Amino acid sequence: MKTPREILLARHQAKTPKLDAIRRSVVIELNNQETKEQSFPAVFVTSLLGCSNKLWLELVWPCRRIWTGLAAVWVVLVIVNVSQRDGSQVHLAKSSSPAAMTMTFRDQQKILNELFADRSLPAEAVRPRIFSPKPRTETMRLLTA
Amino acid sequence: MPEVADIEQLPVSQARAGEPAAWDALFRRYQLPLYVYVFELVRDEQTGLDIVQETFIAAARHIGGLREDGKFGSWLFGIAHQKVIQRWRKRTEILFDEIPELPDEFEEAPDDLLIRREQEAEFMNLVEQLPPPHRSVLLLHFVEDFSLEEIARITETQLGTVKSRLHYAKKTLRKLVEEKNENPA
Repeated sequence: MKTPREILLARHQAKTPKLDAIRRSVVIELNNQETKEQSFPAVFVTSLLGCSNKLWLELVWPCRRIWTGLAAVWVVLVIVNVSQRDGSQVHLAKSSSPAAMTMTFRDQQKILNELFADRSLPAEAVRPRIFSPKPRTETMRLLTA
Repeated sequence: MPEVADIEQLPVSQARAGEPAAWDALFRRYQLPLYVYVFELVRDEQTGLDIVQETFIAAARHIGGLREDGKFGSWLFGIAHQKVIQRWRKRTEILFDEIPELPDEFEEAPDDLLIRREQEAEFMNLVEQLPPPHRSVLLLHFVEDFSLEEIARITETQLGTVKSRLHYAKKTLRKLVEEKNENPA
């Protein structure tokens, strides 16, 4: 009579050499890792990957539905934004024909000329009248005359 | 054949310190029971060996996550269990929780199941016939004599679920053995 444990172990006893080989390879690998000093980039990359993995598992994965919802909202916003911008660009492109552009250019040129014109020679400019105060009596005389 | 070891004797703290000899001793102690457990669930030799290797590597890498040295065995089987489930999910969509649970009517059955030599093959066939979740619990109970709490931790299920699964598995096994005895043909 045997216990279930004895039966189960005896049934797979023949696999022991293969398991021994696996064990040895893992232990050798462990030994190598112990002796081999890991380079800084490898440590950095490993820690970075570990960190990102941890971040994913602890921050993103538990609230994946919320994150998915937020991402969907952002995608919708970007699509709406892009579609509106494209429309306005088309509108501008349509309105700016060569003739209109030339007119606009001329108007701008005119404005610039007016702005930067030489103000030292105000030929046609109306000279402001210089007010010279007079006695009140004269003013009254003028009114009565 | 290794006996169910006294966990106090295992060099877990030395392994934690990175001593390869300690790891060798630990792996030697658990390699066959672990393989038995994994193989009886995946039913493929190469997959079983691969999972054992992956489990050893993961154990060495994540030994820092083990809180109590005395729970090394159940912790190691927990890693292997997760790897088995990952394989199952890749292959077929067998999920442990898909099988309906029995009502929680567990009674501590005495572990007096002894099998005669001529019944050994039949016993193994009967174990294979059990649904995977029940087989898993029964194997953990038989192979390493883990407590119900430890089995619950390994399989990441509720204690009540483990109790009902073990009860169901033992009951089914006993029933099948009795049937075979009654109808030997």
